[in-house]
Amino acid sequence: MRLRSELIIFFLIISVVPLSAVVYISYEYSKLAIRESVMSNLLGATDNTGNVIDNWMDARKDDIRVISQSVTLTTEKERFKEFLDTFEREHRGVYREFYTLDLNGNIIFSNIYRTGNERTETYFIEASKGKISISDVYKSNTEDAPEIIITNPVRKNGEIVGVFAARISLESLYRIIENIDIGKSGEVFIVNQKGDIIFHENQSLILLNNIDNNFAVREVTYEKNGINEYVNYKGENVLGSYYWLPLYRWGLIAEKNIDEAYAGALILGQVMVGISILAVMGVVFLALVVSSNITRPVKSLEDGALGMLRGNFKTIPVSSKNEIGRLTEIFNSTASELLDIRKKLEMKIDVANKDLEIKNKELTAANEELKKLDELKSDFLSLVSHELKTPLSSMKISAEYLESDANIVPADRKEILQIILRNIDRQTRLINDILDLSKIEAGKTELKLDIIGIRKIADASFENIKQVALKKNISIIMDVPDDLSPVMADMEKLIIVVNNLFENALKFTPAGGSIILSAKEDADGIEVNMKDTGIGIEKEKLEKIFDKFYQVDSSSRRKTGGCGLGLSISSGIIRAHGSVIQVESEPGKGSTFSFKLKKG
Amino acid sequence: MNADIDNKIIELIKKNEKISNSEISGILGIPEDEVAQRIERFSDKRSKILLVDDEIDTLLPLKRSLEVEDYIVVGAGNGLEALIKAKTEIPDIILLDLMMPEMDGYEVCEKLKKDPITKNIPVIILTAKDAVRDKVKGLDIGADDYVTKPFNLNELKARVKSVLRRTKN
Repeated sequence: MRLRSELIIFFLIISVVPLSAVVYISYEYSKLAIRESVMSNLLGATDNTGNVIDNWMDARKDDIRVISQSVTLTTEKERFKEFLDTFEREHRGVYREFYTLDLNGNIIFSNIYRTGNERTETYFIEASKGKISISDVYKSNTEDAPEIIITNPVRKNGEIVGVFAARISLESLYRIIENIDIGKSGEVFIVNQKGDIIFHENQSLILLNNIDNNFAVREVTYEKNGINEYVNYKGENVLGSYYWLPLYRWGLIAEKNIDEAYAGALILGQVMVGISILAVMGVVFLALVVSSNITRPVKSLEDGALGMLRGNFKTIPVSSKNEIGRLTEIFNSTASELLDIRKKLEMKIDVANKDLEIKNKELTAANEELKKLDELKSDFLSLVSHELKTPLSSMKISAEYLESDANIVPADRKEILQIILRNIDRQTRLINDILDLSKIEAGKTELKLDIIGIRKIADASFENIKQVALKKNISIIMDVPDDLSPVMADMEKLIIVVNNLFENALKFTPAGGSIILSAKEDADGIEVNMKDTGIGIEKEKLEKIFDKFYQVDSSSRRKTGGCGLGLSISSGIIRAHGSVIQVESEPGKGSTFSFKLKKG
Repeated sequence: MNADIDNKIIELIKKNEKISNSEISGILGIPEDEVAQRIERFSDKRSKILLVDDEIDTLLPLKRSLEVEDYIVVGAGNGLEALIKAKTEIPDIILLDLMMPEMDGYEVCEKLKKDPITKNIPVIILTAKDAVRDKVKGLDIGADDYVTKPFNLNELKARVKSVLRRTKN
């Protein structure tokens, strides 16, 4: 899971759980408080209503007592009526009728001139016994508003002589009750002991509806007081307060719709949920900000590390001074160190590579050299074997031929025998050369030193080659003065040297060319030069011509004969005399070989 | 030219088996002697060997020895001569020395094997070179056999016979 998601979930958990708890608890508490307040509101309403009723009733009872004290049953009817009318006017329609009854219940006098007998009525019986009495509420035949009758005994000299009665409209009482504030959905009604509604703001219900299935009505008709939640006659959930007024046998009930009663709590709850949601959103936003503050540098570190893996040593901007900031700084310094190390390594590798390249080139060159040497060796070996085997082969074939056929003509036989002899000579020469060379190489050459003149050696050599020179049309020029100082040398071997030089010169000089053999004396000794007008030797091959078996051109060997031992042998002989053979040459123009001998 | 004339003579004989030497001489405009010589030569059933070696001292006794065995032996002293003679003489077999100046035996062999006229002529290499790599190289470029010097003459003769037998089949 990504760091950002983890942080957001973490923040949500640590914020939402306590927030929910707080919201829930506050909601429950406020609901309770609101219930309390609704209850006290209802109780207040019933109290107020009760007080209003008491006050009003007390005023009526006082009226009745006052009037009944001043009543005489039989006399001055007209004055009495006038008094009553005045009284009624003063009370603006509260009193509908005043009348007096005798002890038999007959109406003696009514201000509206009604007659009749009311001796069975409870209010008459009670009043005739000397007590002020209030009747049940009833609905008048003539008026809309319900009425009650209050009766009081009329005394004369302490004796009850009759009853004074007043028919009273409850309308003004109702108007007062209606004005008591009980809240928007509040409802106040009054029932009698039978459960009949005797007061309701909807007047049409009065005395028509029995609602004793209502919990509060039931309770109050049992003369109980209290407050409770129940379902009212409309089927609504209500909170209701009920109060029994024993004096009038009225049950006073104030109800309030429970949903509306708790509407405040609901709104509070909604507000709290709203605040919670806002808070959660705030937390999420905060978490996003915080997590992005944390994850951005971490992400850029991650990117940097990935970059480093791919060889991109870029520094990362340091965005803070906290642990991540310090980590970034460490990362940056590590990256730059790594970059340094890498650069150094690359430089070292470059240097090493260049070294390697150079060494490689050197090795390749050495290898090439070795290959050449190897080829040379192989060439040389096949050359030697060829040189050794060719005469052997000729001799063998010839001998076998002679052996196989007895009828060979004498001329042929002679020819074949000559071949055999010639090849024996050739083989002998070659073997002698090789033996000489190996002696020279092993340093075992024994010089028979004598004091001799160069001229003598030159002449002897010239004798050996003059026929060849003549045949090849090459002129030999001898420039060796007679009066040169003698040298200390092995004559036979020096003749070999000069002979070899002559032979080489003849081999490589084309017809018509010339060879000059010269000698001159200086303080150190006698210098001998052999100069030809031959094909010359390339500069890079000059060093090698004294190597044994070396051929400037291996294909030239068969043209010119010899197996590359002549110069090696000559060089070895001169070296044994304490000198060296020098060579100068220019391709196409000719070569000069020279050596110097000490004077004898 | 020589081979052309031979071919023409053969064609004439194929057309008319009873044609006389003088008639051929008349048609081709060459002497009657030469016609007889040519007819004798290409009707010779003996195998022809082209012997290539720059060492005259090897070439001569070998030529004599092979002639004793009733072969026609044509000699060549260098590579160039060998190539020319291979085309004109059309030998049955070539005995080829490797170490020769100017053009060595390998080169001669390669050229022979590239030329459609000579490529089917078997080649036996005769040489003093006895290194394995030399033998392999020789056989690689198309030689049929490889004999190192100095060799036993009888062995050489046996090899020649064997190669000829193989190629004639």
